[in-house]
Amino acid sequence: MMQATFFEPLRWREHPARVAVYNGGEELKVYYQVTAPRDLGAICKGRPVEELPRILTLLGPAHHIASAVTLDRLFNVEPPPPAVNMRQALLQTLVFSHHLRKLFFFLTSLEDPLADRHSAVRTLGPPRFLRHVFDEVMQCLSLAQEAAVILGGRAEHPLTAAAGGVSRYVKPQSYNRLAEIGDTCVIFAVKFAEFCGGTLLNASEAGEALNEVSPGPMSSMSMSDDADAAIVVSDRTGKEIDRFTPADVFDKVELFHEPWSYEPFACLKGKGRNVLAAADGDGLYFVGPLARLNRGLEPSTPKAEEERGRFIESLGPPPHFSLAAAYRALLVELIQSAEQMTVLYDQEKLTGPAVRTIPQAIGQQAGAAIESPQGLIVHRYRVDERGMVQELDILDTAAQNNALHCRIARRAVELSKYGNRTREETKKNIEASLLPF
Amino acid sequence: MAKKKLAVFTATGCSACENSVLDVHFQISPVTPWADIAFWPYVTGSQWQDLDHVDRIDLCMFAGAVRTAADRKAALKLREKTRIMLAVGACSAFGGMPGLVNLAAVRDEGNSAGADEGIDPALPGTESRVSALSQIVDVDYVVPGCPPPKNLLWSAIQALLCPGECTSRISYAASRLPERISQCITSGILPPKGGTFAGEKAVCASCSRVKEEKKFRSAFRPYAIDPDPGRCLLEQGVLCQGIATREGCGGLCTAAGAPCRGCFGKAEAVYDPGAKMVSAVTSTFDSANADEIEAMSNEFVDLAGTLYRYTMAAQCALPVGPAKDENDAGDVL
Amino acid sequence: MNRFEPRIIAFLCNWCSYVAADAAGVARLTQLPNVRVIRVNCSGMVDPSYVMKAFADGADGVLIGGCHPGDCHYISGNIKTLRRSFLLKSLLRELGVEDGRFRLEWIAASEGPRYAKVVNEMVEEIRSLGPYVPPQRRSAKGAA
Repeated sequence: MMQATFFEPLRWREHPARVAVYNGGEELKVYYQVTAPRDLGAICKGRPVEELPRILTLLGPAHHIASAVTLDRLFNVEPPPPAVNMRQALLQTLVFSHHLRKLFFFLTSLEDPLADRHSAVRTLGPPRFLRHVFDEVMQCLSLAQEAAVILGGRAEHPLTAAAGGVSRYVKPQSYNRLAEIGDTCVIFAVKFAEFCGGTLLNASEAGEALNEVSPGPMSSMSMSDDADAAIVVSDRTGKEIDRFTPADVFDKVELFHEPWSYEPFACLKGKGRNVLAAADGDGLYFVGPLARLNRGLEPSTPKAEEERGRFIESLGPPPHFSLAAAYRALLVELIQSAEQMTVLYDQEKLTGPAVRTIPQAIGQQAGAAIESPQGLIVHRYRVDERGMVQELDILDTAAQNNALHCRIARRAVELSKYGNRTREETKKNIEASLLPF
Repeated sequence: MAKKKLAVFTATGCSACENSVLDVHFQISPVTPWADIAFWPYVTGSQWQDLDHVDRIDLCMFAGAVRTAADRKAALKLREKTRIMLAVGACSAFGGMPGLVNLAAVRDEGNSAGADEGIDPALPGTESRVSALSQIVDVDYVVPGCPPPKNLLWSAIQALLCPGECTSRISYAASRLPERISQCITSGILPPKGGTFAGEKAVCASCSRVKEEKKFRSAFRPYAIDPDPGRCLLEQGVLCQGIATREGCGGLCTAAGAPCRGCFGKAEAVYDPGAKMVSAVTSTFDSANADEIEAMSNEFVDLAGTLYRYTMAAQCALPVGPAKDENDAGDVL
Repeated sequence: MNRFEPRIIAFLCNWCSYVAADAAGVARLTQLPNVRVIRVNCSGMVDPSYVMKAFADGADGVLIGGCHPGDCHYISGNIKTLRRSFLLKSLLRELGVEDGRFRLEWIAASEGPRYAKVVNEMVEEIRSLGPYVPPQRRSAKGAA
């Protein structure tokens, strides 16, 4: 019987998870286990479909918007332009807060953010200056949350997006505040990227460790920027190999279950459970910031493009698969989202004769996809004639990318074993490796 | 004076409550002058072993519903170590949205059984029903909400963690907290056990919409109406649960044009949130004709899933869902 | 084996149904003894939570008796009850309480025989449904 080591609970995970390591025989076995069921089917089936945008915030705030977009399709309505802009502005705000929070978490792996600054028993070592960065990050995060509240009603579980639009206008007195927040976020994002990219990710010891960890070359999946909103799969060289509509995603991605995890494992269709053992990552895919960056498209905003330039300068042209690249991709998108926030936080864009189109009839089935901060999410609902949910399929490509998580956890454990790291260091490695994906 | 020890933990839920606690620390006031963080897996990466080195936790903020054997074990272990147990958020306080699982047909159990023992690691077993924290262990105080607003979280931290002479504590304006709790905060003693850090009345008391005793002849599902921004949603025929729900949010959802779904749990004087809503909704029906009333009643769908959206596990007078089975108490880990 | 004897809580309005129940007794009409009567001033004061509480505390059925529409002592109290009844029934159904366990009946003061008939019918119907156990406890009983 092999000896199992559990790393539990894992830090920064949105859903309870642990890593189990069996390390006794010839072979090292590493499992990334999701340790609680989500039970989405049980929670959502039988509910009126218009309630889903609010219920599904359980999975994260971006699901609120994804769900509202799916309802537009289901009810066959076109939301008015201000509503589309408001949702988009909210989504960019969510991207900004999400990326900033992840980067904040990354920094906290270097120094405990909650240790008493003047206490004699501070446990972690030198880089004291980080404490001031923490404060600044959280101030900016609180501004972004304020913007999210203005746009979405609540920051963590927004509630304004509804079938056919949004439930209310932005209050007139909030426009100036939004503009203010947008500008501050851009300035902060650029400064912060300079700080992280310049000192931390490039030169420091931590940065070198990050370059070591890589789940290896693999495909990427992201949404196209053009009007047809297709999902694009590119191979490990960055070349586009497949393109399909969101509705077809469930034919292109396969989900399989293992008895040792509550959540399914995702891979490209036809690869099956072999992906867990495969040495080369064939059948797995990246999503999220790194996947978007690996497609090689230029960001639409100038400062983000500059940051991407620095990214290429230090790491070479994409695609990249290392942890350092994943963190830097967060930085590029952080700036990009801040810049898009300033564009969208505009009174002209958020006002108009209506913010909602009232649906006239209920469809039977609809699906839609959006790029959430973490990665592509696809919703598909089937309802009865009264609009009660009968079936729902939700593909959260980032949260359900458990096969990739397994692979990353294994890499992190292997490296720690090779480097004779302690248990605490190993746990940290696992957590820091999983964080940006 | 020795600093107090704080623990923060989420069972089955989402990260919103964790983030809210973190935001309080950074955006309102740092907690660390009064307390050391002894256990906070989400932010500081604490592990269960770390608890063994702590004699006693002064305040444990427990978020999330109890869904698995691991959650139950966590609740019991933290309770054993903790002086004051605070249920944070709707999931922990009343079962929250995960509690709707109890409404679904009995699940096919045995998720944990299939693992090939010895080769693959086991999973903590799923309990047959979702429970609120108070159904597992003794809970001292509650901060409701999904997620709880920062001001209420902060007032709970003030009341339960900070010493009486702390200036921010004394200056804290406990405007809509129950009188007993606000008095306790300002005078520096612990509130009576079982207190809730939220208002006492219903959400309607702080909702900005105008109520006019208007009646309606036709109910609307929320997707089918763009409600008048200034008027009570219920009077416009939209099912809004403000009247059965504890206030403290300030009418956040109704102000944003969305009907209340009761994330603060039932108001103090309400026996059962569903029954209260039946009474409130039907009193606005503008008809005395049995057939018409029946037709209007039938326009409301999924009553159980809506009226007990956040409270199914703990506040429904006629709790549904499978019974607790014997495995639930077992140590499956 | 003991026959199941349902417990039924009857909320009877002071002005009509309670008088009818009284009359039924005085007239020595046969009534099954499974009903516990609670006299209320008007059926309109029977809040849905009273009904829920009755079930939660072990009742197998709940009967609300009021005046016929138009005859209410307080003009429209019974209409309030009528408005509540359909939605309450739907809610109870969703929570696993069968339809026959909750009844709203209009019984005038002079309708003693009708009261006896309603009670006897309801007892038999609930007897056939069996005891009311909240679903949460039901499977525990089944398993035991």
